[in-house]
Amino acid sequence: MVSPWNPANAVTASRFLTLPLLWWAIDHGYHQYATLFILICGVLDKLDGLVARLFDCRSAFGEMFDAITDGLCYGCGLILVAAYGWAPVVPVVFVIGLGLINTGLRFVYIRRAGRTVNYKSYAMERIVAYTGYLIGFATGRMQVDFFYWAFVPVMLVIVMHDAKRMLVDPVPAGAAGMAGTAGTERGAR
Amino acid sequence: MTLVSDDVFRLFLTVLTGGFAGAWTIHDVVLIARLRGANRRDPLVRDKLFGCAMGIVIGMIGVIGTLRFNGVL
Repeated sequence: MVSPWNPANAVTASRFLTLPLLWWAIDHGYHQYATLFILICGVLDKLDGLVARLFDCRSAFGEMFDAITDGLCYGCGLILVAAYGWAPVVPVVFVIGLGLINTGLRFVYIRRAGRTVNYKSYAMERIVAYTGYLIGFATGRMQVDFFYWAFVPVMLVIVMHDAKRMLVDPVPAGAAGMAGTAGTERGAR
Repeated sequence: MTLVSDDVFRLFLTVLTGGFAGAWTIHDVVLIARLRGANRRDPLVRDKLFGCAMGIVIGMIGVIGTLRFNGVL
């Protein structure tokens, strides 16, 4: 049994520290600083999996905590850039709405599996990375409309695909193992 | 308040996005090619194939966006 108070979860939790800094930078109109802070948040996301492997402190809790941190950090980041007019509101609402739907489906999947399982898919791994980039596109003023509107149909297709897997397809016997294989850098934690 | 000049920042964004998206696209194309002979009835294989296909789409969006950012498209 791995304690939840481990180095990997500390790295994951430290991502929350970037949010007030991001807010400060956006509020002051400091685009480069805002980009730096969201970049640090993204790097820490990759680093926690490495730390988990290094210190051998992988756990189902860590995996869930990482997924929740992803959702909160990127969700808050998207709300901030949209609220300050740095990103179009409509696609941001779509992205957050689809993210919430996906979160709800994960809970249904947990109930079907009968234990805490962080559902992951290869496609979802990729869309999470894109979500982090979305905030960076807004802070960097980089083709904001193009990237935001292109994101919506891609995420819609992935959420629909994963909804079928979570709601309809049989839950594999080694659900944690199978779903976790997609998130190799942190998924097994 | 800035960290670097606008030109350097633009170059940084271009490399970070275009470079990553390009590498990602190639990575997923290679993965799909490796999975050609795999059993498609296996849910894990299907998940990998779908994920890689989406990865290629996302990578292409990144490359196109970077080219647009630099006025190429």
